[in-house]
Amino acid sequence: MKPECRDLEVLRSLAAAGALDGDEAARLAAHLAGCPACRAAEQADRALLDLVKLPPPGPAEALATADLPARALAALRARGRRRHALLRFGTAGGVALAVAAAVLLLLAPVLFRDRAPEPPAVAQAGWQEPDVDALWTESAVLELSDDAASTGDTWGDDALAAYDAWAGE
Amino acid sequence: MADEGDGKRPLLRVVPGGSEGSARREEEALLAAFLVGDDEAFGALVRRHEKLVLSLVRRYARTPEDARDLAQRTFLRAFEAARRALRRGVLEEGAVPFRRWLIRIAVNLGKNHLRDALRFTHTSLESVPEERLGTEPPGAAAALEHAQRAARVRAAVLELPRRQREVLTLRVDAELPFAEVAAALSITENAARVSFHHALQKLKALVGEDSL
Repeated sequence: MKPECRDLEVLRSLAAAGALDGDEAARLAAHLAGCPACRAAEQADRALLDLVKLPPPGPAEALATADLPARALAALRARGRRRHALLRFGTAGGVALAVAAAVLLLLAPVLFRDRAPEPPAVAQAGWQEPDVDALWTESAVLELSDDAASTGDTWGDDALAAYDAWAGE
Repeated sequence: MADEGDGKRPLLRVVPGGSEGSARREEEALLAAFLVGDDEAFGALVRRHEKLVLSLVRRYARTPEDARDLAQRTFLRAFEAARRALRRGVLEEGAVPFRRWLIRIAVNLGKNHLRDALRFTHTSLESVPEERLGTEPPGAAAALEHAQRAARVRAAVLELPRRQREVLTLRVDAELPFAEVAAALSITENAARVSFHHALQKLKALVGEDSL
């Protein structure tokens, strides 16, 4: 490919798309007149672009799109209704929440006054005078009793009697 | 915003992207009327642009109903965008690039639809050349062969890189001038022209030149 051909490649593509005019069109036309390779390439580009084009809308497509403005308008109105409904719902919900918050603030002292938290058990436990007698009894290791059998004094009496017998009394 | 009850009509100017004069003023008036609550103006604007939008989305549609639904969603989104832009005060000097928005939204929705459709067997509208077949040269075999070549090329269009596909389809399907293609895609006109050239080269590589 000659350098001039390369320089004109973009213009050739544009010409195939019918998008060239003025000086550029004249420059390309002058080149094409003397360059069979570029003429053939331009024809190939035109053929390719012809295949790129979509076929015109058929009856089925024309029928399906005939009511586009009416459908679009209906969709727009439906969307507007939904937006307004959401707006109303949002506004009503906001007002309801604000009212609920205000009522809660007003009633808070009443609601929570009788429900003061009970002091913890530790706080309730104050100093009490100990019952010394009970403490003594509960902490006694041996239970004192007047009963000799239970005190072991029997052994002392027996020993004394034995001594008395030995001493001849 | 006027529909919020402030009683003022919005100051806006529609940028229709090429059309001038009375058509432009008409469109300004229709969009302004819609934005202050006149739904009938919406219908009029849809009728004005439906051919453009349908021409863009039908390449991605599998059925005529698909094309209609894509077009409907395009209009609703464009109007919603206009409403929000006006409400937020982001319009530059009151201008609403409404036609440009329509083109952009249609292309994006088509792209998304294509992405979703590719999960299934894709059979787009172009594979049903109901009228085209009748215009082919005589002979069923020739017509069938031509239809098959066309289907192959149109399938290849959907495989092009995004920018190339957008430029190609905006030019071929909607027949937009490159200045408007560039404006819709927020690129320079020269970038649009070069992308178009690259799209053609890539397409040739995809389908094989000898099959043309």
